Amino acid sequence: MDHPIRTENLRKVYKLGRRKGTRTAVDDLSIEVPHGVVFGFLGPNGAGKTTTIKMLLDFVRPTSGNATIFGKPTTQASTRRLVGYLPEQPYFHKFLRPVEVVCMHAALAGVDKRDIRRLAAAALERTGISEYADTPIGKLSKGLTQRVGIAQAIVGDPKLLILDEPTSGLDPIGRRHTRDLILQLRDEGKTIFLSSHLLSEVENTCDTIAVLKRGRLVAYGTPDQVRGGDQKVTIQVAALDKQTKESLRFAGADVEERPTAISISVLPESVYDVMRVLEKAGASIVRIQTERESLEEAFLRLAA
Amino acid sequence: MSGIWIIAKMSLLENSRKQVFHVLCLLMLAVIGSSTLLTIFTEGVQIKILKDLCMTCILFGGAALAIALGATGIPNDVESRTIHPLIARPITRTQYVVGKYIGTLITVALGVAAMTAAFAVLIYGYQHSFDSFLGIAILFTLLEVAVVAAIATTISAFVSPAIATVVTFMAYLAGTIKIGYIGGLIERSQSGVSKAIYSLIYHALPNLESFNFKTSLVHHDVVPASYLWQVAIYGLCYIAFVLVVGASYFSSREV
Repeated sequence: MDHPIRTENLRKVYKLGRRKGTRTAVDDLSIEVPHGVVFGFLGPNGAGKTTTIKMLLDFVRPTSGNATIFGKPTTQASTRRLVGYLPEQPYFHKFLRPVEVVCMHAALAGVDKRDIRRLAAAALERTGISEYADTPIGKLSKGLTQRVGIAQAIVGDPKLLILDEPTSGLDPIGRRHTRDLILQLRDEGKTIFLSSHLLSEVENTCDTIAVLKRGRLVAYGTPDQVRGGDQKVTIQVAALDKQTKESLRFAGADVEERPTAISISVLPESVYDVMRVLEKAGASIVRIQTERESLEEAFLRLAA
Repeated sequence: MSGIWIIAKMSLLENSRKQVFHVLCLLMLAVIGSSTLLTIFTEGVQIKILKDLCMTCILFGGAALAIALGATGIPNDVESRTIHPLIARPITRTQYVVGKYIGTLITVALGVAAMTAAFAVLIYGYQHSFDSFLGIAILFTLLEVAVVAAIATTISAFVSPAIATVVTFMAYLAGTIKIGYIGGLIERSQSGVSKAIYSLIYHALPNLESFNFKTSLVHHDVVPASYLWQVAIYGLCYIAFVLVVGASYFSSREV
């Protein structure tokens, strides 16, 4: 079966005018998004995330390379029949009401006329904005408008959801609600392509991650694979003499004096050497723990 | 086809709730209503002036609505990014442009219908009957407004709302005076180049005066049915041509 999203050497170069030349927004991007996963699309501002999404939805055309959705070229309108899209900071006509917007999107998604009202009401209920269904969008807060955006994206049972910063503008409760909704949608078999700056959100929801830096793919895999980096072991001891500290540094450890203890950080392969030094010095070990690189640390290492 | 109607319905909902629609309609209704104050003329002259004034009001009101709504719909959607969730759905850009046009046209037609209703009530109050030609004259006024809305929609596919409004207004004025003024320029021009340029402008602009049957209505002139058909076909072809240009450009535009 074809991948929900597949890009091959996708490249987008914007012309900035005669004097300013060009800017490469996306460069040689090749990714495959598997079925039924939450795919995190990460990168700092200007990394090319939104441009990639725009190419996937045919808002802009690639300079070279190609992209497919469920095996069909993104330039065909019918390709988007299986797609729901939430733009970053969604804007809707301020004179329209949430129920009108969601009904219209249900109709555009090809929902049967008889089911439109019912499915729109269900989508509004699922995103927690039923009580605002008849309030003009111009009078809704940013967070509630964001929820209208999520409701219009999920209506019509799309198989692929492209969500650009879905929790932007939401309060902590709304953020949690949206995160749970994303996981529910994945459990229902949908594929979710999630672009986000919030690393904790990505860490808690994504099965696969791609990290972009200046338009290029710098990491791709499961969160564990992307985190990769160096796993460290931290040993805390009560006290150490100067000679032991020197021996530990010679064994490859980082020794840090803290108010209550001395912290020794060491790579797993050097743990035995360090332990032998500590045993020889008769050091009193307070705590031993392993520390993995967080996604935030990995992101900073990869994208900063 | 359903995509066009959904966009048209959304466009109608949006346009009909805009302040500019309500203000222009109320203004034109007020002008039509105030024409009853013209009591210094004899009854026959008064009815002629009433018809002339009301038809002018309907035409200008309709054209103003077509320009104000048609020239802003697409560029506002692009600038405010409200277009993104829409075109992320399985609709083509052509469907979007045609849908926006139809939505605008229905909104303008509602405004024209309101003004026509007020005009009809006044006429009935004065002469206790309707002119048989009134419906046809109004229909062709609506066709003229439809041409203006098509021009506005197409220009708005290229440029910002402000520029689209100005350019459409200029095209409307030029289309109204083209026979007399631009036709005269072609006749008077000496060089072949200027003659070719004026001819190009002459043929590119719509002949909006051909839709105006106000004089025939006021003076009870008989207009041959064949001429009416010619004008109707010309109007519909012009609308189709203009929309094809706008939709073709917008289909390749990055938004």
